[in-house]
Amino acid sequence: MKYEFGRRSFMKLGSCSVVGAIIGSQFKFASAFAETDIKDLPDNFSGDIRTHCGLCVNKCGMIARVNNGVIRKLDPIADHPKSKGMLCAKGNAGIQTVYDPDRLKYPMIRVGKRGEGKWRRATWDEALTYIADKLTEIKEKHGPEAVLFSSTEGFQEEYFLRLAEAFGSPNTVRHPTLCLASVNNAMFNTFGTVPHFDLKHADYVIFAGSNRLESLLTPDTVDMIEGKASGHYHVVLDPRFTVTASKANLWVPIKPGTDLAFALALIHMMIKENKYDKVFVEKYTHGFDKLAEHVKQYTPEWAAYETGIPVETIYKVGKDFMSSLPRSVFYSGRRGSWTENDTQFRRAIAIVNAISGAWDREGGVAPARKIGLGEMLIFPPDEPEAERIDNVKNEFPLANRRDGVYMTLREHALKEDPYPLKAWMIYKQNPLQSVPNSQKTYEMMKKMELIVSIDIIPNDTAWESDVMLPEATYLERTDPLHSLGGLEPAVALRQKVIEPMYETRPNLEIMKHLASKLDLGEYFDFTIEEWLEAQVEELPIDLDELKRRGFYADDKGKVFGKTLKEGYRFRTKTGKIELFSERYAEKGYDPLPIYKRPKNIPSGSYILLTARCANYTHSSLQNNEWLMAVGMHAMAHVNPIAAEKHGIVQGEIVILRSPYGEVELPVYITDRVHADVICMPHGFGHTSKGLSIAYNKGARGSDLLGSYYDKITGNAAMHEDFVQIIPKRTLHTEDVQGDRRKSRVKSGGITG
Amino acid sequence: MSQEKKYGMLIEQSRCINCKACMIACQAENNVPLHKHRNWIDESEVRGTYPNLGIDFTPNQCNHCDNPHCERVCPTGATFVNDDGIVLIDYNKCIGCRFCMMACPYDARYVDKERGIVDKCTYCTQRIYQGREPACLETCPGKVRTFGDLNDPKSEISLKIATHRTEVKYPETGTKPRIYYIID
Repeated sequence: MKYEFGRRSFMKLGSCSVVGAIIGSQFKFASAFAETDIKDLPDNFSGDIRTHCGLCVNKCGMIARVNNGVIRKLDPIADHPKSKGMLCAKGNAGIQTVYDPDRLKYPMIRVGKRGEGKWRRATWDEALTYIADKLTEIKEKHGPEAVLFSSTEGFQEEYFLRLAEAFGSPNTVRHPTLCLASVNNAMFNTFGTVPHFDLKHADYVIFAGSNRLESLLTPDTVDMIEGKASGHYHVVLDPRFTVTASKANLWVPIKPGTDLAFALALIHMMIKENKYDKVFVEKYTHGFDKLAEHVKQYTPEWAAYETGIPVETIYKVGKDFMSSLPRSVFYSGRRGSWTENDTQFRRAIAIVNAISGAWDREGGVAPARKIGLGEMLIFPPDEPEAERIDNVKNEFPLANRRDGVYMTLREHALKEDPYPLKAWMIYKQNPLQSVPNSQKTYEMMKKMELIVSIDIIPNDTAWESDVMLPEATYLERTDPLHSLGGLEPAVALRQKVIEPMYETRPNLEIMKHLASKLDLGEYFDFTIEEWLEAQVEELPIDLDELKRRGFYADDKGKVFGKTLKEGYRFRTKTGKIELFSERYAEKGYDPLPIYKRPKNIPSGSYILLTARCANYTHSSLQNNEWLMAVGMHAMAHVNPIAAEKHGIVQGEIVILRSPYGEVELPVYITDRVHADVICMPHGFGHTSKGLSIAYNKGARGSDLLGSYYDKITGNAAMHEDFVQIIPKRTLHTEDVQGDRRKSRVKSGGITG
Repeated sequence: MSQEKKYGMLIEQSRCINCKACMIACQAENNVPLHKHRNWIDESEVRGTYPNLGIDFTPNQCNHCDNPHCERVCPTGATFVNDDGIVLIDYNKCIGCRFCMMACPYDARYVDKERGIVDKCTYCTQRIYQGREPACLETCPGKVRTFGDLNDPKSEISLKIATHRTEVKYPETGTKPRIYYIID
């Protein structure tokens, strides 16, 4: 690798290698820098390399066809246990992500004002010295806790978190509280684990708002299509007529935020009609009597009033669900919270699956298996001295402390309560897009003396930073092994298929180099090769074989019934599946889910929903021209009743206004959304001028959303906001369609 | 002497989720210019009345007709039907006059401006002659397509056609298309 090493930095490097003062180890340490860890691929390499996709959370297996050092095609691995031989549009367009001319190519240091877009190219050494000096200064003045480290999951995220630990900051904040923290918490506190759903074999499935055919998740998406084709019955509760709803046997439009009422009524019906699995409930669960007593009040008639679903439909779904038992499941979903009561809703789903007898059986809900990996023994950093700024320990006692709570952390940072944050290190994340209420995020950024973004493209947040560091993309780096949990688990190896382009580097190398500048080099005294060797030790195959196969899977397939064996203790307080959560009771939360009616919609306002599209991963990939050419366009989806009320015509530009901001979007009038809601796609309206394709297309949902969060996990609640719709009386004239061929891709109909 | 092959495709629309993986896979595999596509997904208007709505997604591409109009109108003989039933273009003969585009009832062809020719789906000949599947089929999450030899009564596609009700598009134009759609 091409590190600019001056004599001084080399000396510094040597002196910080404190673990062994012997010269040998210093040399080893230095040599780890001097070249890439994994053998370099020749410039003119041609051949097929098996690796894993990295454009979303799924990690689908794929084969990169490389010709003369250029990636020509990415094909799916046919027999991969997780991706089941598929690769979505995003995965296929990964080539464009690597060869995107807008990529971050070199370390850049800001020269103008923040967000002005004036940068100068710097060498790695210069940029990292700049960062290290600033961080050291802040550490001396305010303590290490004044530096915030925020990141999103990825195979190399652990090195970023390790730097935070070594630096001594307790303040790491990760993506789960913008994502599935509430689902995980509810499932964990019911079953002692976060289970997976056997959608391939479940005869009857209820999806509540979970849009699995547009928000792709392997293997669930594939299993769902297979299951549907083999005659399974799918019900979708959703205020939007999504693709998932269109493929289902029954679409039930529901008033947003009232799904818990439906779930409680379902439990009510199962108990009242004695259709729950009595033997199972008796043997494996805790608190059934209290549950039975509690749900007496939640009748289907009551639920019909709350949800706006006709009472016959509730009875019908309940009856069909019960008659397919135990091969009926209520799918838990996994996206961000909807309401402030979201964890309780997910708990109700867990309870349905717990009393139905579908637990740990084929066609039911089962704990994930995971293949064990070896561990690299590394020097553990000391526990940070300071407490976390967001006080997770006291404010959210059941939340994951290392993940932090984004929404409240920001509040604490703004109030400097109990101490100020002065620097923000960001890895693989775009908080301006992904954290609701962007105005507050901007304010938080103003408090920072240093903002550093490590990313592959100059996203909105990177554009507002002080230093942008270019990471190598997932096709240019070899990552640590990852054990993918699931009903059919696998070990995934991501190996590079081309050498890093420009001056980009894998995150581990960035962290190593920065750590050495911070005199923390001893925490990174290993190479990725050594790491992989240590991990692969527990597997029956060696690293070379793993590199050939790309993944490892055992031949056991789906295994059910492990937790049903005599003497198994569930990882809950009582050792049983907790219908009545003792931990919730202990921490002062409702131990049984209690329905809370959503706020009344102010007249003339609508509930704002944000939607996903199968062509983008949240707010990333909008700069991928292949995907942008076929994907949805940012439009506000409005029901004809609402449109008529405001005199809005198809294609008209409207202003959406919330107490937190306003945006402009063209309107798409469609029956596909509930009359109470306005829906806009997530991930548009990029403000970074560094993104030549995505810049200024559509609007950003985080500009409209407020700071609501789930009360148990702190997970951002994204459907608690109301917007007003104000016609602008101008038509949408931008040629979104392009040429004739492109017009085949209809713009509005996709709901995301 | 075994009988000659005749390649065809069967599309099970009910499995299509409009994710566009096939479009991008084809784009990458065949170096299709930006904004042009050899295959595409038609999205129908929303039908029915709220809340009993429906919507269909229909994957489309060149139908590799037995009696292709594009072949007949081609002034240079660039478009031809291969022995295995695949309609191909001899790029050296193509002058980019677009007669074929006018003639094709499926609108399956596009102009490749850079190369000065008209192009379309080839069933990924570069893959299928090596025993691999067409890119659109291989990458699909729902495995919407089945590809194979229509002349072989035991091939997967022949068996599926024999056991399902199928239709072809615009049979009235006399093109004898070889892409079959399963009717639900």
